[in-house]
Amino acid sequence: MDKIDFTNPEYYENRELSWIKFDQRVLEEARDKNIPLLERVKFLSIVSSNLDEFFMVRVASLKDMVHANYKKKDIAGMTAQEQLVAINNDTRDMVDTQYSTYTRSIIPLLNNEGIYVIDSHEMLSYEQGEFVDRYFMESVYPVLTPMAVDASRPFPLIRNKTLNIAALLANKQNKKETVFATVQVPGVLPRLVQIPSVNNAKNFILLEQIIERNIGKLFSNYKVLCAYPYRIMRNADLTIDEEEASDLLKEIQNKLKMRQWGEVIRLEVEAGIDAKLLRFLKSEFKVADADVFEIPGPIDLTVLMKLYGIDGYDHLRYVQPVPQKVPEIEPGEDIFEAIRKSDIFLHHPYQTFDPVVDFIRQASKDPDVLAIKQTLYRVSGNSPIISSLAQAAENGKQVTVLVELKARFDEEHNIVWAKKLEQAGCHVIYGLVGLKTHSKIALVVRKEEDGIRRYVHLGTGNYNDSTAKLYTDCGIFTCKESIGEDATAVFNMLSGYSEPLSWNELILAPYWLRDKFLYLIKREIKHVKAGKEGRIIAKMNSLCDPGIIAALYEASAAGVKIDLIVRGICCLKVGIPGVSENISVRSIVGNFLEHSRIFYFENGGNEDVYMGSADWMPRNLDRRVEIIFPVLEDSLKEKAIHILDVELKDNVKARVLESDGNYVRIDKRGKSLINSQRVFVEEAELAIPKSDDGQKGRIFVPAEPL
Amino acid sequence: MAVTVFASVYIGSFEISLKIFEISQKNKMKEIDYVRAHLDLGKDAYQNGSIGYELVDNLCEILVEFKTIMDGYKVDSYEAYASAIMRDISNEAFVLDQIQLRTGFVIKVISNSEHRFISYKSVAARKEFEEMIQTSAAVIDIGGASIQITLFKNGELITTQHMEVGTVRLRSILYKPGMSENSYQKQLEEYLNKKFEVLRALYFENGVDYIIFMNDHGLELINRIEKDNKLDNLIKGDKFTRYLEKIQKKSLSDMIRELNISDERDTLMVPSLMLFKTLVLNLNASKVWIPGVDINDGIAFDYAERNCFVKAAHDFRADIISAAKYMSAHYNSHSPHIEALKVLSMKIFDTIRKQNGLTERDKLLLEVSVILHDCGKFVSLVNSAQCAYEIIMASEIIGLTHLEREIVALTILYNSTQLDLYEDLSDRIDYDSYLKVAKLSAILRVANALDQSHKQKFKNVKTSLKGRELIITLEAFEDISLEKALFENKTAYFENVFSIKPVLKQKKIYDV
Repeated sequence: MDKIDFTNPEYYENRELSWIKFDQRVLEEARDKNIPLLERVKFLSIVSSNLDEFFMVRVASLKDMVHANYKKKDIAGMTAQEQLVAINNDTRDMVDTQYSTYTRSIIPLLNNEGIYVIDSHEMLSYEQGEFVDRYFMESVYPVLTPMAVDASRPFPLIRNKTLNIAALLANKQNKKETVFATVQVPGVLPRLVQIPSVNNAKNFILLEQIIERNIGKLFSNYKVLCAYPYRIMRNADLTIDEEEASDLLKEIQNKLKMRQWGEVIRLEVEAGIDAKLLRFLKSEFKVADADVFEIPGPIDLTVLMKLYGIDGYDHLRYVQPVPQKVPEIEPGEDIFEAIRKSDIFLHHPYQTFDPVVDFIRQASKDPDVLAIKQTLYRVSGNSPIISSLAQAAENGKQVTVLVELKARFDEEHNIVWAKKLEQAGCHVIYGLVGLKTHSKIALVVRKEEDGIRRYVHLGTGNYNDSTAKLYTDCGIFTCKESIGEDATAVFNMLSGYSEPLSWNELILAPYWLRDKFLYLIKREIKHVKAGKEGRIIAKMNSLCDPGIIAALYEASAAGVKIDLIVRGICCLKVGIPGVSENISVRSIVGNFLEHSRIFYFENGGNEDVYMGSADWMPRNLDRRVEIIFPVLEDSLKEKAIHILDVELKDNVKARVLESDGNYVRIDKRGKSLINSQRVFVEEAELAIPKSDDGQKGRIFVPAEPL
Repeated sequence: MAVTVFASVYIGSFEISLKIFEISQKNKMKEIDYVRAHLDLGKDAYQNGSIGYELVDNLCEILVEFKTIMDGYKVDSYEAYASAIMRDISNEAFVLDQIQLRTGFVIKVISNSEHRFISYKSVAARKEFEEMIQTSAAVIDIGGASIQITLFKNGELITTQHMEVGTVRLRSILYKPGMSENSYQKQLEEYLNKKFEVLRALYFENGVDYIIFMNDHGLELINRIEKDNKLDNLIKGDKFTRYLEKIQKKSLSDMIRELNISDERDTLMVPSLMLFKTLVLNLNASKVWIPGVDINDGIAFDYAERNCFVKAAHDFRADIISAAKYMSAHYNSHSPHIEALKVLSMKIFDTIRKQNGLTERDKLLLEVSVILHDCGKFVSLVNSAQCAYEIIMASEIIGLTHLEREIVALTILYNSTQLDLYEDLSDRIDYDSYLKVAKLSAILRVANALDQSHKQKFKNVKTSLKGRELIITLEAFEDISLEKALFENKTAYFENVFSIKPVLKQKKIYDV
């Protein structure tokens, strides 16, 4: 038999098209009748926000490649131009489905529930019209900045992702002259405006409709011929010349200002827009026909997230499970003592993120703590972790924080609190030149009676207490010496000192991680060749690294059984004869965003489990500082393997990749339904030892007057 | 239980390093943190002979950061050493002054002998070491400026050789920009093979069982060659060289990737690897051990030992004596005379020691002086004292500091020549050491006079102090008039130094 070339482009899926498939899976959730209505509304909104980011980053960089005449093909053998064409087709199909779902299925169902979203102002009743006009004059008009375009007034800067209304005006005196004008729908006001209604119904109107209705008031000397909303998307990829930048902080601030001038890569207009108006917009934004999307409904459905959050109607939403406490950690008690007893496994959001926040908070006050070191990538708005770190510095601890300024779309946010930390006396490191620091690690150094002891938290998700309620992530607490030493070495390395001569347990990208994964995959092949079983289970967000995929193909061909749980992009194809017949791929899209990365290697019975911050993507393996850590204790290993097991059994939210490249739901006939996220919620609840009923929640009962 | 947190700082020719240790009676030494900052001091030092202000700035910045780290661990005590790099520059005093003013660090500049001994100590403290030297082992310390090879056979130290082929020096001698990697490697190999030729002929004709390397790149190599590293950094010599030959064929960047080395020290990679290879081949070593200790460990070990936290298993005093003996044998000067002299001089030393403030260490120096006092005759019978001085100063005796070696050499010099004035020696030794030299050489001279015929005529020697007289009672059968006559001549010096008059008494015995 000929040796198979595992790098053959035919064996790979294009990553962008695979990503669109992921967004389609999210869209399918919005179309799933078994899901509460407002949850479906939420998924519809997520489809839009995902697509926006995809365009700003991925499509933008493909456009850059086309401009630069970059001819190299991707792993699936497509040029940038070919990819753009394919993406365009697939996105149009998806957007069509999205809007037909919205108008044909979601809106009627909402109406049944007494929720109305009026998307054209002509439909308003007289009273509603009155209300809307008053709202316009009182709240909207003062913040509007209408701008006309003529010889003396050039086309204004239209900001990325903002919703605008374009209008054609006719001069009341000189009827022949038409003028173009544009006004931004102000982002400071809520886009969804509740208006009076009869009965118990809830009526909403979109802000742009209120403006459209009153647009005549903005251009009093003109007659408004027509007005339509539109939105543009710009190239938002920051290219920073880090070698040249003397101060990364300043450079990023500058680039953020530049971002609003990026090339326009997509123009969305309301379907049925006036042809002349569209022509004008196209020429001003220099967009081709292919990049114009005529939208059959409200532009930018991310507004639906607001609808999801309206008061009342709880029966249309999931009951959000309360994150349970971690059994090993009693809130308010010494967390270090708990860690000393044994390593602790955390599974968010089923279990609360509080211990992680508490870990830093207790460390900041503990007189025995010498130093706290932590990496921060994305943090929440009012992060308790940040204030604890600042507090610790004020309490005289040595606090070292690596703030990744290059965290996409969080750059601006990160600059603000990085400065705040610096003011408090923390040693702030602004990431590394040329590498994004994506690893999630926190280290507390404590001086104890018998010497220094290091407590480490390692995780798969960001130190963000808000997203920890929505993303599924895993983490461990440990005070094992080997990991503690490595953690110190990680921070020494991040502070600019030489890397350690060797690592005990942790595996770091960009230098060591790829080799380690390849080694682990090859080791399974060895086991198969030695007559044992070979098995790999890996769970991650995206799989698109050609080297890893080729190794997986090789392993599959050798007889290693591989099960992959990949939420998003997956460039690996299953079921290719002789190549990937032993590989299964499933994607779970559920109530929570699947975010943890767990890697299991059977290793001839001597199981190895790793977790960490890295996906199997080139950017994670080569261009980021990532940490993958082994789960050392057997009891913790079991927990990680259990997560993989349950997810492999999921037949409600999982979709399986077929050899034709489609993801299909699992045939549930004759099987009991397993929704893995539901299972974890229940398990987390059961894990908490129930206290005696009599003891539970002691309250003093006030005596009532007779 | 008391735990002392100790920091060792070392300023090397391409790297400034800081190690934090916890030292306690129970747990001995535990490494807590290890921070290395790259700084190419060697470049300036070896090219210009001094360190420029920019590097001094950088050095101070790094040291200030180190201080913050040390404060973070609430360090109880620290020691900061600098070696070759500071000795080799012309502006040493000013650099050290600036460091102290700007960072508060008091840097101790140690001599090569001390440096080597400190690193060696931390290796010798390991239990594997004791086993390895039982057959034959060469401890090789590869530094930036020079390398030092210490050979052990049957548990005894044979010799220590110092060669100026350190990595930084090799690079600055042989590397020219624009050179092809291949020819650079060839030149290095040829140069080193030539350098090691004599060494091999003198000591390694039969090869050696173990080479123990002390160097930075070593561990990375071991990790690469022995993936599971079951034998704790021990590897077969031929496997080691085979791997080196394989990797040397690669380009530098591939080499660095293969060994997982951060790009910082990469220019020293090539000389390091070549040293490894040529040494293993020339010394014909069957096994290579890379214990992975460095000067920072040594500094901490030294501190811990001085403060009685740890006790070394290895007898370093025996090393010194053994090295001296082999040196003496090397110059054909070992004889029964030396053994007799040792007995005599030790007796005299012990008798007058208390009154004259002499220490155990001084006794060791005297013993070494006795052992080596005749080695100059190998070169010249007339100028033997001067020759002995030169030989000793040119040799390495591991365990003796540079100053101690000077004391030994001068003691031998003034055994047979007139003591110079302190003014004439002040560039070599301090005043206390001058007094020490005078005392030790006076003892040596008296003892020497007693065995002038080199015939060991005495059986029992007794020494005692009576008032201001040192009574030396001899039991002898033979005629000792030669000794008696010479004795009068030699005692003036002793009287001068100690204000004690040696008196010789003979007890004739007639046992046949």
